[in-house]
Amino acid sequence: MIIGFFRRFEGWFGVSGALCVLTGLYLALVSSPPDYYQGEVVRIMYVHVPLAKTSLLAYTTLFFGSLWYLWKRDPMVDNMCRAAAGIGVLFTAGALITGSIWAKPTWNTWWTWDARLISFSILLLILMGYLMLRAFMDDKEKEARYAAVFAIVGFVDLPIVYFSVEWWRTLHQPASVSMRGLSLSAEIFFPLTIMAVGFLFLFIYLISVRTQMIYLEELLEAKQGSLLNKGGEVIKSA
Amino acid sequence: MSFFRVVRWVIWKDLICEIRGREMISSMFFFALIVILIFSFSFSMDQQMVKSLMGGIIWVAFVFTGIIGLGKSFLSETENDCLECLQMSPIPRTAIYVGKLVSNFFFMLIVEVILFPLFVIFFNLDVVDKIPILMIIFVLGSFGLSALGTLFSAMTVQIRAREVLLPVLLLPLAVPLIIGSVEATRGVLSTDPFSFYRHWMELVVIFDVVFTIVSFWVFEFIMDY
Amino acid sequence: MKAVQGFQISKGYHHFQVLREVSFEVEEGECFALFGPNGAGKTTLLKILSTLQRPTSGTFQMMGLDGVKDRDKVRNLFLLVGHGSYLYNELDALENMNFSLALRGISRTDQEVKKALDRVDIGPFARFKVRAFSEGMKKRLAMAKTILVHPKVLLLDEPYSALDESGMGLVNQFMKDITEQGTAILMTTHNRTKTAEVAHRAACLQQGVMKEIAVQELVEAHELF
Repeated sequence: MIIGFFRRFEGWFGVSGALCVLTGLYLALVSSPPDYYQGEVVRIMYVHVPLAKTSLLAYTTLFFGSLWYLWKRDPMVDNMCRAAAGIGVLFTAGALITGSIWAKPTWNTWWTWDARLISFSILLLILMGYLMLRAFMDDKEKEARYAAVFAIVGFVDLPIVYFSVEWWRTLHQPASVSMRGLSLSAEIFFPLTIMAVGFLFLFIYLISVRTQMIYLEELLEAKQGSLLNKGGEVIKSA
Repeated sequence: MSFFRVVRWVIWKDLICEIRGREMISSMFFFALIVILIFSFSFSMDQQMVKSLMGGIIWVAFVFTGIIGLGKSFLSETENDCLECLQMSPIPRTAIYVGKLVSNFFFMLIVEVILFPLFVIFFNLDVVDKIPILMIIFVLGSFGLSALGTLFSAMTVQIRAREVLLPVLLLPLAVPLIIGSVEATRGVLSTDPFSFYRHWMELVVIFDVVFTIVSFWVFEFIMDY
Repeated sequence: MKAVQGFQISKGYHHFQVLREVSFEVEEGECFALFGPNGAGKTTLLKILSTLQRPTSGTFQMMGLDGVKDRDKVRNLFLLVGHGSYLYNELDALENMNFSLALRGISRTDQEVKKALDRVDIGPFARFKVRAFSEGMKKRLAMAKTILVHPKVLLLDEPYSALDESGMGLVNQFMKDITEQGTAILMTTHNRTKTAEVAHRAACLQQGVMKEIAVQELVEAHELF
């Protein structure tokens, strides 16, 4: 029923999300001042930070969705989990790429073994592993169950990964470079917030649409299966 | 049937099958041997470099060898549908987990105990007085790997690309364990004082405790609907 | 109290409906045969009854216990003999029997196990590794297991497959013996003539719907579905 609520309003989320993002981009790219130290490149932060935060939101959705699924076994919740993982992969990859683009002119290196970058890379690997696990399984019910288990174990692990990598980094490379180099003046804060809200709305829109896409894909597969099976009946549950 | 009796039977069955088949330990051992040989050819190291790199090399060998063993641990259950039989039996699922965990951990430890002297020989390590603490690190690290790996092995054994999927799923999650074990080993080999690397060992212990408990709870959903 | 009762069992997942409100009952000591085209849901029904899969709606009872909510208790009541033999290749027949019994919390003396093996003519091979057994011998081992466990309900998935005439005769004799001792049998099969010798009731499962048919029809009807 929660999903039904989002479905009805998804159009609104989509449009308002797009508007927020566009406004935010205008403010970010055109009217906000360049950072004193980092020059024009800092503008990519307006995309990078929301991407990163939304990818974490995607995994959190996946985690709670997995718990919900194991409790209620609702196939639609499982579809939502799959959608969340797919979107999470997209946003995490985007966060890593934008982070890398920012790093090159700033520190003259495409990649740095920063705790957050490593944690995000591992997050990406976990999400891709999740999708791989689902892709290789044939039994649908088992697939949903096993994927939920993996998502839960991974979620518990993520903070441990972050802290252990952070310890490791402070040991091997004292904190001279830090991704937290942005001082949040008012001029930066406002566009950043608009972008973050915009991304949040976009996320809700994307996950709603993607969940329905998955539902329809399953329905199509079932219809094809029933044709091959000399007409078993197809039901449109949920 | 009582929990610990089931655990004992599972361990007994795994041990007997392995003693008679010798499939798991022999594959693990030869794989590890190859890894060691390749490392010794790839890096020509002076003593200083050895001290800083050795921890990593040892654990790379142990982790990948461990994955081979873990992959095979549930393989015997897929022949003749034995896994289905376990799923239908009126036993607690967690007893199966604990039994498998103990046997996996045991096999991993045996291989490591055989391998470590080879490391010492090939790389000229000076370890005589460090063996007890190194053993503790190996035990802690291998236990964590077995705890999580037994869970994932049960999951992936029923899937098509099982040999690929197990490392793909396990390694990202095992990163804290690997970091902790490598740093602790490196600390011991560099003869650092205990206070330098004790927090790495604490990290490994935390990992072990958390993931044994999590895997224990979650195993229900793998073996039962 | 009926041995097995199905209450409108439905099974569908992701839009595909496999079973549709299947209801039936089997008395103690009764042999119930299930026919049907491949893909009709026979195996799915067996999987649900053996607590390997959960019904989407509806439930079943064994000896009055709910098969979904009390599935741990129900697992004490039945035995499934499917396509896999549930045997470990590295163990011999005796050890396999002891392990299977241990999984059900039953302990029998070696003598009792040997007697059961003798009854199915595998006595002389008790100490041979199961790896060397033929399919027919593995089936007989399954029968010995059934004798030792003495379940209230026996679920059989195509018991006549891969057997020759004498093998099928042995299976029928075995089924007659255990039904006389009160075990209920539910079996899926394609073999009409052999089943007619031993079944008390029969039904046909087509496109997820179960319809009872007279045992006479098994012999006389030109085609069942």
